Amino acid sequence: MSPERRAARRRADRRRRLTVLALLSPWLIGFCVFVLYPIINSLYWSFTVKRYGKPARWVGLGNYRLLLDNDELLLALKNTAYLALIGLPIRLFIALLVATLLARPRRGNGAYRLLFYVPSLVPAVASGALFFFLLRQGGPVASLLDLFGIEAPLWFRDPAWTKPALIMLGTWAIGDTMLVFMAGLVDIPRSLYEAVELDGAGRWARFRYVTLPMISPVTFFTLLTGLIGVLQAFDAAYVFSQGVRPGRLTGEPDGSLLTYAMLQLRYFSDGRVGFASAMAWVMFVITLVITMVMMATRRRWVHTTNDGAA
Amino acid sequence: MTTALVTPAQPPHRSAPLGASRTRRVLFVIGRHAVLVALALMFALPFLFMLLQSVMPITQSKTSALWPDQFAWSNYREVFDRVPLATYFLNTLKVCALATIGTVVSCVPVAYAFSHVRWRGRTTVFVLVLATMMLPYQVLFVSQYQIFTELGWINSILPLTVPAFFADAFSIFLLRQFFLTLPTEVMDAARIDGASELGVLARVVVPLAKPGIMAVAIFQFLFSWSDFFGPNLYLDSDESLTLAVGLVRLNTALVKTGESNLTMAAAVLFVLPILMVFFFAQKVFIEGVTLTGTKG
Repeated sequence: MSPERRAARRRADRRRRLTVLALLSPWLIGFCVFVLYPIINSLYWSFTVKRYGKPARWVGLGNYRLLLDNDELLLALKNTAYLALIGLPIRLFIALLVATLLARPRRGNGAYRLLFYVPSLVPAVASGALFFFLLRQGGPVASLLDLFGIEAPLWFRDPAWTKPALIMLGTWAIGDTMLVFMAGLVDIPRSLYEAVELDGAGRWARFRYVTLPMISPVTFFTLLTGLIGVLQAFDAAYVFSQGVRPGRLTGEPDGSLLTYAMLQLRYFSDGRVGFASAMAWVMFVITLVITMVMMATRRRWVHTTNDGAA
Repeated sequence: MTTALVTPAQPPHRSAPLGASRTRRVLFVIGRHAVLVALALMFALPFLFMLLQSVMPITQSKTSALWPDQFAWSNYREVFDRVPLATYFLNTLKVCALATIGTVVSCVPVAYAFSHVRWRGRTTVFVLVLATMMLPYQVLFVSQYQIFTELGWINSILPLTVPAFFADAFSIFLLRQFFLTLPTEVMDAARIDGASELGVLARVVVPLAKPGIMAVAIFQFLFSWSDFFGPNLYLDSDESLTLAVGLVRLNTALVKTGESNLTMAAAVLFVLPILMVFFFAQKVFIEGVTLTGTKG
């Protein structure tokens, strides 16, 4: 290759690199200013006592040690575990049930799909206000239960019933999950069903041995995003607890609505930035651990097809 | 892959009646309908009660009445008198419009660089982009808040709109997925004709990727419209609030007075634009949901 050609090629390479850099620049700048810098900052602050307008004072693992015997943190984690272990399976089950019933095109399914999907468009603060009204003492739900001679619980007075209220709200809004399940169901090759039908499989066997394994990648995905979502739950719990008793973020009644994000925001609003940073980092680590554990066990319960698409 | 919500995507699946008796099939159909009708009722009733309560006269709204004696449409005017709802609307619209424009303008070139331009380290950097999606907002806002305070942006829409002009990971990811479905031959042809990468992006990719760009725009619009955490963090003065924050404050205030009819009227006004956007852009919207869901 002649020197001129090489120089020309080098120029072209440089122009190419500049083009790529220019195309990426919005993300690069945003990443540095709004992600990287805040990450480093909050990681540093998590090891300090920090208030805005004052220099940070290094305390090493002090904040993290305080977290270990913080009763409210334990409460928030318990509430989160409740929503994850009871709420999430209910939501996934209903979403899969509805998706299974509606996946095949039939007359009238379109209207059903629309109906089941639309609630998930309602912002959590609006559905929070709505369910606060629906479940209130003497509200519509209480009236309906009364028709069947059932006495409605005091959803927002009794700490045992506040989280079921949150779960009902969450179950109302499963439209996204349903849609993702439906897309997965449509992708299952018809031939698989025909094969097991020849073996004389009934409806349940078809569901158990074809549908469930074939949509397991979708289940995996919805479970993972669901878990991460529960960990950051805030809006509806906030609306409920502010309705019960406005003021500090204590998750009234009796901290039954206290979510992890709510507690973190409270420490932040109280000006305890270092402590709030430590809480945020613990949240991140929990997210990472959940993701890694799920990825590690993925092979055991997620069926992968040859093309490895999902 | 793309399941349109209303129009059937595939011909009906014929269930082979091998050994399945007629009665069992009839029973299944009845059972299926019973389950669907019961669930449908449970999903529809909240909307019905929301609408009914929003037109409930005040004297009735404090009772356990389910049906209004008379339709008090004046509630919808009343709620504008109680809180500066028009201002909230305007603020929310501003946030949504700016954030949407910012997201589209910034994410299109980035997604293009991650899909149809070849460069060393592309995969590594893209993994980094995906990794930032894992970061909880909590890790970021403690420090972002300080930046915005020092810039004097508290009580303004700037903290909610300016970051949108710097490409968020989710929108990049979604757009890239869309761009990857486009035929590379057309782009290569344009390159051979001497088009620069920017030229290819503007004249080939953007026109072809309009549905994808629309999906990203709609998602951002709906996110900004619904977002509570951010606005609640950065906005406090009454005239700066968005609808989401205004609605929560209204709800909190009216629980005491029992005027849930006004809360529900405000909630209807808050939700209605979302439903309108959804119905106008349903197809694009559903494709976006399924694309992010199954390709994740």
